[in-house]
Amino acid sequence: MSRYLLGRTIALVLTALAASLVVFVAMAVLPGDPAAIILGTGARPDTLAALRAEMGLDQPVAWRYLEWIGGFLVGDLGTSYTYSVPVADLVAQRAAVSLPLAVLALVLSTLIAIPVGVYAASRRGRAGDVATMGVAQVGVAVPNFWLGLMLVILFALTLGWLPASGFPGWEAGLLAGLEALILPALALALPQAAILARVTRSSVIETLGEDFIRTARAKGLSGEAALWRHAVPNALIPVVTIMGLQFSFLLAGTIIIENVFTLPGLGRLVFQAIAQRDLITVQSLVTLLAISVIVVNFLVDLAYAALDPRLSRGGAR
Amino acid sequence: MSRLLEIENLRVEIPALTGAAPILEGVDIGLDRGEKLGIVGESGCGKSMTALAIMGLLPGAARATGAIRLDGRDLLATSEREMQGIRGRRIAMVFQEPMTALNPVKTIGAQIAESLILHLRLPKAQAAERARALLDRVGLPGPRFSLDLYPHQLSGGQRQRVVIAIALACGPDVLIADEPTTALDVTIQAQILDLLEDLVAEMGMALVLITHDLGVVEETCERMMVMYAGRVVESGRTADVFAHMAHPYTRGLFAASPRSALLTSAREPSGRKRRLAAIPGQVPDPRARPPGCAFAPRCPRAQDDCRAAPPPLAPLGAPGRADHAAACLHPHPPSGMAGDVAASAEGAR
Repeated sequence: MSRYLLGRTIALVLTALAASLVVFVAMAVLPGDPAAIILGTGARPDTLAALRAEMGLDQPVAWRYLEWIGGFLVGDLGTSYTYSVPVADLVAQRAAVSLPLAVLALVLSTLIAIPVGVYAASRRGRAGDVATMGVAQVGVAVPNFWLGLMLVILFALTLGWLPASGFPGWEAGLLAGLEALILPALALALPQAAILARVTRSSVIETLGEDFIRTARAKGLSGEAALWRHAVPNALIPVVTIMGLQFSFLLAGTIIIENVFTLPGLGRLVFQAIAQRDLITVQSLVTLLAISVIVVNFLVDLAYAALDPRLSRGGAR
Repeated sequence: MSRLLEIENLRVEIPALTGAAPILEGVDIGLDRGEKLGIVGESGCGKSMTALAIMGLLPGAARATGAIRLDGRDLLATSEREMQGIRGRRIAMVFQEPMTALNPVKTIGAQIAESLILHLRLPKAQAAERARALLDRVGLPGPRFSLDLYPHQLSGGQRQRVVIAIALACGPDVLIADEPTTALDVTIQAQILDLLEDLVAEMGMALVLITHDLGVVEETCERMMVMYAGRVVESGRTADVFAHMAHPYTRGLFAASPRSALLTSAREPSGRKRRLAAIPGQVPDPRARPPGCAFAPRCPRAQDDCRAAPPPLAPLGAPGRADHAAACLHPHPPSGMAGDVAASAEGAR
C-alpha cells in the first residue's frame, strides 16, 4: 500500500510542476507586455521601465518562473494587475462559491447516475432500461448552459422556487447559499450524470456476466443482493475513472455556468481576468485549476486502491 | 420414502436460441444420500445445463419442464424466493473456473461467511469462526491462509479449495461439482478430487460430479451417466458401464481418452504409432439434430432404424446389472472391453 501511495504522490508532484511550467511558458511567450497593458499605450518609456522593474519583468525568464512557483508554494499567487489585491485573496473569496458548486455538482451527478445506471443494467433490454437510457442519451447531447437557462425558466421564473441568478454570500445563511447554487449545480450535474449513468450501466452489465455472480447466486443470494453486493462494487472501478476525468469538464463547465448564473466564482474570475488581460491572475488561476484536476485524479487513484485490492495488495503467496 | 434427489423427464428449451429444439430431453436422475453420480459427455452435451436446472439458475430465456424433486418437493414448482433458501443451504455447487468464480474485491473470509450469515443467521464473529474452520478443513490452514486474503493472492488450486469451502459452508445435502478439476494442473486435480471425496464421505452428502474425464468418474463415482446431445445415452453402476460400454458413443468417448491408450498397445500391427481415436464428426447443433438417434451420423453401428426415432433409454437386462441402461437399438454385446475398444477405434477411423 505505502509503495503504491509513494509512487502516486511522486507522480502528483511531477505532473503539477509540469503543468505549472506549461502554463508559465505559454503566458511568457504570449504577446503583450503586462506593464504596457496597465499603463496604457501613451505611457512614457521610463515609467514603463520603472513599472517593469517593480513587477520583476526585467528579470530572466527562468528566475521569474522560480520566483512565481516559489511564491505559489507559500501561498503567494502574485498581485492582480486590475484589482491590485493579492490573487490569493481573490481565489479564497471565489473558491467559497466554486468549490461548493463543484462538489455539489459531483455529488448530484453521482447520486443520480449510479442508481440509474444500475437500474438500467438490471433491466437490460426491457422498458425501464430503454426509457432511462433514452433520457440519458438526450442528457449527453444537451449543452449545460442551455440546460441552465431551461432550469431557470422552470424553477425560478415559472415556479418561483429558487433564485434565478446571483449569490447572496454565505453570510446570508447556509440555506440561502445552497438555494443559489442548486440550479447551477444541476445544470452542471445532469449532462455529467447522463454520461456516468451510461458508463455505470455497461460496467454493471459486464460484471453481471462474471462467474462470481453465478457463485453468489448459487450461495442463495437473490438477484438483487448479488447485484448490489457483488456486481456493483466491481463495476464501480471504471465508473470512478470516468468521474475523475469528468472533474476537469466540470471545472470548464463552471466557467460557463457561473457566467450564466452570474455567480462570483473562480470560473467567472478566470473569464474576467482573461478579458482584462490580468495575466498574473490568469496564470495563477489556470495553474491552480490544473493542480486541482491533478489532485482529483490522485484521489481517484487512491479510490482505486480502496475499491480494488489487486492494486494495493501483493500478488500470489 | 422418496429419494434425496429425483429428476424425472427433465426437458429444457431455450425457444429464442434453438427454436422448439430442447437443450435437454428426457433426463432422469435418482440420487440418495452418500451416493456419488458422475455425468460424462463432450462440451455442449447438456451436463452443465442439468446442473443449472437443478440449481434453478438456468439462463433467463430457458424453460424447464418435468420434475426435479428434493426430498419429494418439486423444485421446478418452487418460487424463486424459496429457491434462494435452498441454494447454498441444501444444494451447493462448485464451478469449473476457480480463477473467476470468486469475487476479486472481497476477502475469501467474507465470501465464505456470506452464506453462513444468509442461511444460518450467524452473527459476524461466529460466521468468521466457522469460515476459519472451513478453510482449515479444505486444506488452507491459518495463519498462512488468513480470512483476509483476496482471491488474487491464491493459486488456482487454492482458490478451488475456497470455492469448495463456500459450497460446504452450510452443510448441503447435494453437492454439484461442475468440472471442478478441469482448469487445474494435473498434480492438483487429484488433490482436489481426494478432498471432495473425503468431504462427501464425512458429511454424508450426495455428489453429482460433472466431467468429461472418464477416469475421474471411474475413480470417484459408483454410478454414472453418459450424455450426448441433451440426452442420457447410457447409465448404470460405473463398474457395469465400464465393463460393458454398450453405447457406441461411450466406447468412442473412451477410445478418445488417453486412458484407453494404456489398455491397447502403443503400436499397430503395421508398426505405425497408434493415435488416439477421435470420434468422427461433430456434436449436432440443437437446432439441427437428426430425427433419430442424435449420434447416428457419427456412429459406426448405425442402421436405418436408428435414423427413424430417438431410441429410449432401456435396461440392457444383463443379470445382476439391473440399472444398467442404454439408449441404443444396436448396443455392443457385453464382452471383454479392451479388445473391443481397440476394434471400435479402428472402426471409427
